[in-house]
Amino acid sequence: MEKAKGFLFDITKCKLCGACWIADKERNKLPIPEGDFTKDKLSENAFLEMDRRHDRGVRFSCMHCLIPTCASVCPVAAFEKTSIGAVIYHKDRCIGCRYCVFGCPFNVPKYEWDKPLPYVRKCDFCYSRIIDGKQPACAQACPTGALIFGNRDDLILEAHRRIRENSNYVDHIYGEHEVGGTSLLLISDISMYKLGYPGNLSDGAVPSLTWEVLEKIPNVVLIGGTFLAGLWWLTNRRNEVMQAESGKKDNSSDTESGSEGGGK
Amino acid sequence: MAVFGAGGYSIFVRFVKGLGASTHLSDSFPWGLWVGFDVLCGVALAAGAFTLSAAVYVLHLEKYKPLVRSAILTGTIGYLLVIFGLIMDLGHPYRIWHPLIMWNPHSVMFEISWCVTLYTTVLFMEFSPFLFEKLKWKKALRAVHAVIIPLVILGVVLSTLHQSSLGSLFLIVPYKLNPLWYTPWLPVFFFMSAIALGCAMVIVESFISSVLFRRGLEIDLLSNLGKVLVVILSIYGLARYLDLSSRGALGLIFQPGFEHAMFLAEILLAIIAPIGLLIFPRVRRNKLGLFMSATMVVVGFILNRFNTSMTGMVRFSGVKYLPSWMEISVSFMLLTIGLILFAIAAKHLKIFDEDSPCLLPWQTCRDNVVCCLPTPAKVAIFSAWAFALVLIWTGVNDFARFKPLNHPTHTESAAKSEPNDLSQYPNLPKDFTFSKTDPDIGLVTFSHSDHFLVGAECKDCHEHAFSIISTDKKGAITDYHSQKYCGSCHDGKSASNDCISCHKK
Repeated sequence: MEKAKGFLFDITKCKLCGACWIADKERNKLPIPEGDFTKDKLSENAFLEMDRRHDRGVRFSCMHCLIPTCASVCPVAAFEKTSIGAVIYHKDRCIGCRYCVFGCPFNVPKYEWDKPLPYVRKCDFCYSRIIDGKQPACAQACPTGALIFGNRDDLILEAHRRIRENSNYVDHIYGEHEVGGTSLLLISDISMYKLGYPGNLSDGAVPSLTWEVLEKIPNVVLIGGTFLAGLWWLTNRRNEVMQAESGKKDNSSDTESGSEGGGK
Repeated sequence: MAVFGAGGYSIFVRFVKGLGASTHLSDSFPWGLWVGFDVLCGVALAAGAFTLSAAVYVLHLEKYKPLVRSAILTGTIGYLLVIFGLIMDLGHPYRIWHPLIMWNPHSVMFEISWCVTLYTTVLFMEFSPFLFEKLKWKKALRAVHAVIIPLVILGVVLSTLHQSSLGSLFLIVPYKLNPLWYTPWLPVFFFMSAIALGCAMVIVESFISSVLFRRGLEIDLLSNLGKVLVVILSIYGLARYLDLSSRGALGLIFQPGFEHAMFLAEILLAIIAPIGLLIFPRVRRNKLGLFMSATMVVVGFILNRFNTSMTGMVRFSGVKYLPSWMEISVSFMLLTIGLILFAIAAKHLKIFDEDSPCLLPWQTCRDNVVCCLPTPAKVAIFSAWAFALVLIWTGVNDFARFKPLNHPTHTESAAKSEPNDLSQYPNLPKDFTFSKTDPDIGLVTFSHSDHFLVGAECKDCHEHAFSIISTDKKGAITDYHSQKYCGSCHDGKSASNDCISCHKK
């Protein structure tokens, strides 16, 4: 099996030239809006957003989580985490419930709100290109080396090296541990939270929150079913006994006058 | 008619123009009224069916038998409406069966799909005896009666899963949902509140049908149910309190904002006021008192579902969501259809035992126990409703004034660095379009002047010396220096031919 791939995005190196943005549009055959490309927010027609914040170029796109929430929440398994790291979408399965849009901690999946039969859209890590041995379009297009593509493990080592050698960096690789780790890793000389990335994410994978409940279902069914059946039998038996005793009372008329509870 | 006209038009818009045109939903707020009311409340309001059928068939509490039929009827109608609401809300409703064959056991939604499917089937089977009776299909009736106990047990288990899983649905958004409502105990709370809501719904619908069909009310049974309600609500309220305090979220209740008003309204209507009223036998045994308290519970828990799915999500999403009139009209139409179906079924099938004459709550105080509510209770009911309405009103008001704060730095992007003087660089190359080196990437155009305007220097971009150009490797390295490639411009006249321009390192 191939090693899991990843991106390393070095915010200090991005000059906001927009090459990756154009490359994303071309690769995914998306309409190219007029005007400033930094105004183009993530949407069904923008899988990659490059924004200027604190005078730096910031990249927003699918993080390709190692344990993706979208793949976990989808009732029909329309999202798949592939072995090379890409989280891809099988549109022929999708029922359009938008749980992925709702659940994604990075708000990445976008919905075709203006279509009668809408699909979910997001970056697919240029899965077909990686399979062909090429780089994702955006990484290929980046002229400054701000975005590099490679094995995720190597990229983490490289990121640590950069942080070690240059004290300007914040000593944190965003995406190394967040929500269980992501394939897109970011390093910066300013806090990622200030740049608009969710700052409150813990290291635990989000899907474990629901799995902790879901894994109890077989037990609930078995124990609950048995318990209810037991209760039914118990109360049924009690009623039978009560009926039998009252019947006995009726038959033997007034011989027994004391009241008897429905114990047993 | 107006309800159906508006609803029908909304359905038309939804399926012709899409969800964007018919709803106020967006990528930031993907679930709205159709999920929050039609699905969450539809399922919760149907909870009377499993609560009462468990009591009657499993626990042999035969005295509640007169109520069980209307509860099952409500449940069946409720689930039908839930499915209808899902058809409106899903992007591809004709694929609604997909979860049944395309499994993903890690998904709460997957569990819910299965529960909806199975439990609707169970409800239909529990409901079928009423139809068979009417049609006098004795064999079918006997067949259903033979399996009724396993069926009811299955129904209770499925309901337990389904009610709680609607709460689990929100476990996935710890970073989005307001901590007033987000708790790991969501599934348990949804289940407990469903039982309370189920009991309250039975009381409310018995009352409404007694007015509609001019029939008597099983006041003894219903006031017993009121007693059960007090117990469940007390446990539920205590659990909510313990949960909030253990998570250190109690302080949030008093933080200003629409959330706290909505939270207080929910707690007041769903827990505090009904317990305070129903704890007194005189209120419990009184038609009006019982009805008003049960209505509070119903409204309070509808508010709870709204808060969990909508109010609590607003602040994070950065969008002010209010349902569009089309969303409201469809939900309203569903409610109307539900009421009509209930009335038709109640009229033609044997749902209620018909006996004593009608006793309307506003009739004169002939029967002291059933008709006359003590004044303190009246005051309590009135003030609880008034207070709750004020709370909701302040909540909506705060909401109207609320300005969503999205990511902290969006506004700063306006403050760009001052453009450099272009005249300093008279020899800038023209816009440069890289040839189509990769079929997927296509043409990429760079504007040198734009780059200078944002203050970049040559080496900023050219560190890797044109990594984007794929060389066909036929030409020698010197070709780059010649007129053929870079050299055509970098000849020392139009652009610099210093080594450092291209070879940074």
